[in-house]
Amino acid sequence: MNDVILHAHPTFGVLGILASVWVFVEALNASEANRSRVRVAAFVVTACMLIAWALGGYGYTVLYAPEKAIILAGPWPWAHNFVMETKARLFFIPLILALYLPIAATANIARSRGARIVVMAAAALIVLNGLAIEGAGAVVDYAVSAGFVHNGITGAQ
Amino acid sequence: MSAVPPVDAGAETNDALKGPAAGFGLAAVIAILFNTALAWAENVDEPLNAYMASLSGDPWRTHGFAAVAVFIVLGYFFTSRGFRIDGSRLAALLVAASIVAGGGLALWLVLI
Repeated sequence: MNDVILHAHPTFGVLGILASVWVFVEALNASEANRSRVRVAAFVVTACMLIAWALGGYGYTVLYAPEKAIILAGPWPWAHNFVMETKARLFFIPLILALYLPIAATANIARSRGARIVVMAAAALIVLNGLAIEGAGAVVDYAVSAGFVHNGITGAQ
Repeated sequence: MSAVPPVDAGAETNDALKGPAAGFGLAAVIAILFNTALAWAENVDEPLNAYMASLSGDPWRTHGFAAVAVFIVLGYFFTSRGFRIDGSRLAALLVAASIVAGGGLALWLVLI
């Protein structure tokens, strides 16, 4: 079950990123015809990010301690001290933007240039932050594997 | 004869944002910066870190709830005050806050 949680966390992050791209494209082509679609897409972003937060929070606060010890004893201790510590707090930026996105999308982005720019900016920032966080997660994951090898631990895969 | 094109009723009307889109937008800017400031404070102030841990069992958990609470409370506050802002200005603030907050987090964790 813990493996499912650990893999579902980045999966919902990626789904949130993809939904943000969807919002960006809909906003780029904003019209009266796609108003409701933008709002649906914005709510999908929020839902995915909230689920990613819950799953990642469980992983970070409950499951991560043994992996942290392995990383710190391995060749890449900075993967925890810098990458994981930055990632864990950086996540709140796209989370806040994801909470804001459906609120911004309540404005008529087909008629208001300002609302359209804000929705596109928020969606783009979620994508960029999300990709950085996904990459950071991959570095942390690799650092755990490197720690296992470095410490001669086998069978942990 | 007329050189002025007819006004399209469906065309964009203005750049100004009002209501929740404006109020919560400014709240998002502040909450993003608050997130980084709180991370700095947690790292230098051990009693604060311990207090945050005591509230929810883990300082990171409290950190997240605090950032979201700042966003929601300030969002309602600014909206109730009738805050208005140009959309392009708000977008620029969101981008600037994200760059400053993200860069500030990374730089801080490199330095400590």
